[in-house]
This record gives sequence, structure tokens and C-alpha cells, in this order.
Amino acid sequence: MLLNFLLLTVGIAPPTGVRAYDAPDDGGGVIIMEWQLSSDDAILDGYEIYRSGNAQDFEKVGYVGKGTNSIEDETEDGKKYYYKVTALKDTLRAYSEISLPAMSSAQWINRTKLNVLLAMLILGSIILYFVFGARKGKQLFIRKIAGLQAIDDAVGRATEMGKPILYTTGLESISVISTIASLNILGEVAKKVASYNAKLINPHFDPIVYTVAREIVKEAYNTVGRPDAFDEGSVYFITDTQFAYAAAVDGIMVREKPATNFLIGYFYAESLIIAETGASTGAIQISGTDAIPQLPFLVTACDYTLIGEELYAASAYISREPLLLGAIKGEDIGKLIIGSLLIIGSILGLITKFPVLNFFK
Amino acid sequence: MNFIDRLTTINRKIIYLVLAIVIVIPLIFPSPQKVRVMAPVEKLFNAVDTIHEDKALIINFEYDPQSQPEVEPMGLAVLRHAFKRRIKVLVMSLYVQPLGLAKSALDQVVGEINAESKSNPDSIIYGRDFVFLGWQPGFYIPILGMGESITNVYKTDYYGNKTDTLTLMKQTKNYNNVELLVSLAVSDIPIYWVAYAQNRFGLQVGAGVTAVSAGDFYPYYQSGQFTGLMVGMKGGAEYEELLATRLNIHKRRKAGETLSSITFAHLTIILLIVIGNVGFFIKRRKR
Amino acid sequence: MKRTLPLILLMIFGGFGILPFFIPHPKIQNIDSFLRNDLLLILYAFALVLGLGSLLHVHVNKIKHRGQNWQYSWILIVTFIVCSIIGLFGGVSGTGPLPTRIGNFPFDIQTIYLRVEVPLGSTMFALLAFFMASAAYRAFRARSTEATLLLTAAFFVMIGILPLGDKISHHLPSFAQWIMDLPLVAGQRGIIFGIALGALATELKIILGIERSWLGGVE
Repeated sequence: MLLNFLLLTVGIAPPTGVRAYDAPDDGGGVIIMEWQLSSDDAILDGYEIYRSGNAQDFEKVGYVGKGTNSIEDETEDGKKYYYKVTALKDTLRAYSEISLPAMSSAQWINRTKLNVLLAMLILGSIILYFVFGARKGKQLFIRKIAGLQAIDDAVGRATEMGKPILYTTGLESISVISTIASLNILGEVAKKVASYNAKLINPHFDPIVYTVAREIVKEAYNTVGRPDAFDEGSVYFITDTQFAYAAAVDGIMVREKPATNFLIGYFYAESLIIAETGASTGAIQISGTDAIPQLPFLVTACDYTLIGEELYAASAYISREPLLLGAIKGEDIGKLIIGSLLIIGSILGLITKFPVLNFFK
Repeated sequence: MNFIDRLTTINRKIIYLVLAIVIVIPLIFPSPQKVRVMAPVEKLFNAVDTIHEDKALIINFEYDPQSQPEVEPMGLAVLRHAFKRRIKVLVMSLYVQPLGLAKSALDQVVGEINAESKSNPDSIIYGRDFVFLGWQPGFYIPILGMGESITNVYKTDYYGNKTDTLTLMKQTKNYNNVELLVSLAVSDIPIYWVAYAQNRFGLQVGAGVTAVSAGDFYPYYQSGQFTGLMVGMKGGAEYEELLATRLNIHKRRKAGETLSSITFAHLTIILLIVIGNVGFFIKRRKR
Repeated sequence: MKRTLPLILLMIFGGFGILPFFIPHPKIQNIDSFLRNDLLLILYAFALVLGLGSLLHVHVNKIKHRGQNWQYSWILIVTFIVCSIIGLFGGVSGTGPLPTRIGNFPFDIQTIYLRVEVPLGSTMFALLAFFMASAAYRAFRARSTEATLLLTAAFFVMIGILPLGDKISHHLPSFAQWIMDLPLVAGQRGIIFGIALGALATELKIILGIERSWLGGVE
């Protein structure tokens, strides 16, 4: 009661220091409005924001709660806008001064992402240095990756037993790196299958991946000189629903009883359902994924698992192409740099607040 | 086949059968276990419990039928808490699919309370005590728009009533009249409430999420952006425990009932691992 | 030309994939939006037609040659045709020209989804619990020191998160939480760094045409 009386008599304090400016590092169409909170902020309902093109006819464009001192307003690029802010409490209003005019525009560079660009250029340069350095014929060592070593034996086993090989590329689209890596391995596996005259079953979740995989397998058969042996029905699309796909693959495993299962790509919760069904049929299973939550399941249920970047290294590992091996060496150097920076940054962070660390935010 | 061999080669059908029994029997004969309440759930409970008389609670339902068993108990618990304390409740969704589930939860809790109430003041009356706002398109539009005016965003409620004619909506204009929002979600929707409603309007946000997705939300709880967090069945069970011990609400504890199943399932898996390892070590020694 | 044209297209579109991240200007963002939201959808639609064609081709062939379990292929083809007709002409919730209700029994595509697809999906999801048990029994052996450490941590976490854990020791839930907060996250982060670098290297190799196995091998 007393408060209301005082408010009616004295009124509320307006916000001050109103400032409007073009939002930086964006595609335009946004002006940022900032102000200093009213000294009566604690009792206010909120703030109304008004805008005008000529500093005279103002229209309301926004509302924020008390305690908030900025807003982003959608505007037309190249047009001048004037702003004012009103503190409000019930029917009471207190207007700020009018801001200087502001104009929004689009920027060509997002400066907040310069650190990412710099990191990408440095790491990319290191990788490319080793890629092209490998052209000079330098022998590059790559450690043994058990899962990839086993591909030959796994395909051979299936051929001897007269049973098919099942290959699944996971549940993601072609835009995901692990799917591309999986397709690279599919090409190599298809070549071996064609050479040994074995049977390949390759069901797909994504129709675009299916179309690419079909061409890869067909090309693999052509490469080993067996175009007539390619079976159109060996590579096919099933469904793009997660558990329907899992059910279909499980059904294939139980009916066709493949001797070897390749589960290579990006998986979700269905990974264990597929892998454990494969294990129950007695097949040898080689899996590979960069889906971290699914790694424990695949490691448990499969004989060999390619973890994360081992999957990406598969193409280089199998082909032993110097250019591709050079890229792996570049990755290793990159990891060394990141690891060193982490240790240095941690020590610096513990000792002192080093301003340059803000660069990494 | 000797005993040691049997230890390491138990038929998987037997394993499935044993697991099915230990999961199903506690569900048929439920016996809610006393559960230790951890800080994230207690914080959320206290936040709901201390909502002022003139403020409202928004409950945002964002789960689908597949995650309903895990998240619905949380929703029922928060609704029972709110109605017991006579807190005004607004219910809404940002997508269409959860609407049916939200209605089902509301109908259940309101039906329970009204079956026991003896008079109108004791009952939960639509429009006076709670409003089911429903859904509006645009995802960000309701989140931001409710900061200025809820009835502008939701001109009609789920049942087609004009919201500005409802008693509750006359007192609840925007987030200033809302003290807390609890988002029950299977995706990262609670994070959007923090990013838009909390940052812009200072709204307190709590969350109830599935156990699988919990890792994404703990940083927000640790930074204080979430005023409390319920995770999975256990989170729901902890809230039910608080309802029983602090507010004397002894309704069916759907989440608590499953804890027995989860406990026995975990123990069964541990036992199987131990059996397998015992057989493995004995075999290895013999060699 | 058969290999050169795809490589040129790859370089152009691969480059356009990176630019919008650094350049917020609408001229670049609009191209990116067209590529991602429009062009990709058109590609997907055509690929879907091809995919569905391949699915039907496989099953029609099975029926023709009386392959193993050919009867189930009939079920697939019939349900495919029926659901397509209901979905295309019946509307999402029965609002289309084709009637999708007999008395109180609806069979519009939304009902089929909620009453058939969702329960089936939930059932498959529920199988996970059983498969976890059989996989754990079969594979969790303390073969080495690392495996033993892993098993011990697993036991602590599995018991710690239950009410039973609190009964055994008041410190067990906190210790289980510590395992999930620190060692687990640290290990995950290491793998994430490796994956990020590997992805960068793979993308560079593909965009620059160094990696060509997706084309069917190097010329």
C-alpha cells in the first residue's frame, strides 16, 4: 500500500545509458540494444523496447523481464533505427533517452570463429605436409590394427564354409564420416568377396548410402574382372526406421546364418541387438564405429572392434597407399600438439589466470 | 559335460528366462524400496515446494510413447506435488506428439484428487487451479512469446476455451507470474528453455530426463542453470520418496516399483558375470 | 571424365560445406540453406524411390524363384502397398479423401504408426536388457589387469546407483558418481579428440581427391 502510494507520488526511475549497435559477426538483420537497469529494477514488471525510423513515431518491438538489460531486435539492413526503453510497473512508465541511430548489416567474416579457422589451417597443413611428403617414397610405419588384419581371414572363412558375408554400414547418412569410412572398407571387402566368389549381403538404412554402396560393390566386381558375378539383389535398402532396421538385420542373421558380419558405421541403441544376435549365430564379427556410447557394446559382442579413428585409417591400412598413410602420420602429430597444449594449458590454468586462454573459448 | 564347463556355457535362453523372471515378478508384486534422495532431485523438490501462492508452475511435457515408462512417473509426481500444495499449474508442449501423454497424466492425477475431495475448494478445478495450454507451432515462438504474454501465444487452450476468460490466466500474464518451469524431455529441449526463457526472462528451469541422456544435462545442473534434475527411473523414484516422506502422498510409486526390478536385474547380471569368471579361472588353472 | 567430374563436384560442394561456418553473410548462408534443405531433400526423395524399388525387386525375385521363406515376401509387398495407399490418400489422421475408419475402428496412418510401429519399436528396444545380460555373461572375463579394473569399476557403478548400494555403504553412491563424472568422461574426451582429428583428415583427403576408394579405387 505504502509502496504503491510512494510509486504514484514519486514514480519509477527510467533506464539509462541506452545504446544500440549492429550485432557483430552475423548475417545482418539484427541490432543489439543495451541499457543500464533502472535503479528501481527490483520492483519493476519489466522493460518495453520501442523503435522508430525517424526518432519520432515509436512502435513497441519487444519486452523483457526485470534484471535483463539487453535485447536483440530483428531489423532491415541498411535502415537507420532509433530506440528507447521503458521501465514499467503496473500502469506506470518511465522512458529512457532516445539512442543514437543504428543500422544493421551483414558481415563476411565471423570473427568469433577465427580460432577454429586457425586451428583447422594449422592441423590441415600438418596433415597435408605429411600426405605430400609421403610421395617422396618415404616408408611410413602404421601399427597393427587387429580388426583390419582379420578382414582377409574373415572373408576366407566365409568362403570355405559356403556361407554369406553380411555387411552393414550403420544408421547414418552419407554426410557422416563413419559412413564414408565404412563405404571405403565395403569396397575392399567387396573386392575380396568377388575374388573368392563368396556371397555378400548388404542391407541399408539410408537410401542415398544404398545407391552409393551399390555402385561401389558393382565397381569392385568390375575391378577384379568379375562383372557377371555381381548380384543386384545383394545390395538393397530396407527401411529408415531404427528398430525396424535392427529387426530386419537380425532376421537376416538368423535365417541366412552368415559366417562373417561386418558392423561398420554409426550406430545407436540397436547396436547391441544386432551384434549379440550375430554372436548367437556363431559368426565372426568385425565392428567399427565412432559412436562413443555404443563402443562398449560392440567391444563386448564382437571379435574385433575398430575404435574411432582406427575406422578412418582403414582405407590407408588396407591399401597401404603412401598418400593415405601420410595423412595418418599427420593426425598423430596433430594429436601430439593437442595433448601438449592440454598439459600446458592445465598447468597455466592451475598456476594463474592467463588471459590468452580466452582465445580458446 | 562337467560342472565347470556348464558354468561357462549356460544356454542364453536360460539367461533370458531368469532375467525375465527377476524383472517381471517385482512388477507383478511391487514393493517400493526406500531410496536415498540425492541433491539434484531434492533441489528440484524444494524449488517446487517453495513456489509462492501468487505464482504458477509450468510443466512442459516432451516425451514420446517409447520413453513414457521412464519419464511419466516424474510428471505424475510433480503434478501430485503441485496440486497438494495448491500451486497453480500450466501444462504445455512444444510438439504435438506429447499432448496425448500430457492429457493422460493430468487426467490421472486430477481424477485421483477429485475422487478423494469432499468439497469444491478441495477439488482441482480446470481453469481455476490448472490450465492445459496445449501446443503452438514455431518451437521458439512459445518459449519467447510467453515471456511477454502467455494468452497472446495460446489464445485458446487444448480444449478450445479462450484462455483470457480463464481465472488462472487472468492472474498469470507471463513469466513474471511463473516461478518455475519443469521440462520433462527425452531430447535437449530443457537446454532451450535455459537458453531462451532463463537467459532472457530469468525464469527458473528444472528438468526430468532419461538416464541415457543425463550426461548432456549434468553440466547445466552443476553450473546452477537447472534448479534441480531428475534422471531416469531412479530420479522419479527419489521424487516419489520425497512426496511420501514430506507430504504424506502415498499414491502408487510407478518409478519406485521398478527399482526392485532394476536391482534384481543388476544383481542377476553381476551373478552371471561372477559365475562366468569363476568357471573361466578354474578352467585356466586346470590348464 | 567418369572419375574427374565427381571429383570436381566434390571439391566444389565440399568447399561450400565449410564456408558457411565462417562466413555469416546471407549470400553464402542462402546457398548453404538451398544445398542442405532443398537439394539434399530432392536427392533423398529420388534415392528413396530407388531404395524402395530395390526392396521390392529383391522380394519379387524371391517370390518368382520361390526362395527361402518366400511367403513372407508377400506379406511385405502387400503391407507396403496397403500402407502406401492409406498414407497417400487417407490423410495423416484420417482427413484425406479415402475413408480410414470402420465404425469405431480407425486405420489411418497415424493410428497404424501409434498402434503398430511404436509398440514394435518399443519391444525391440526392450530386448536390449536381455542382450546386455547374455553379452555380459559371455564376454566379461577378467583376462588381464585392465579387464579386471574394468569389471571392478562396473560392479561399483552397477551397485552404487541402486538403493541397495546405499544400504551396503553410504559412500558407494558417491563413489559410483565419481567414476561416471571423472574417469569415464576423461576416457571419452580422449576418444573424441582422436575422432575429431581423424574426421578432419578424412574430410581433407576426400575433398582434395586423395581418398578415392568411394569412386571404386584409384585409376
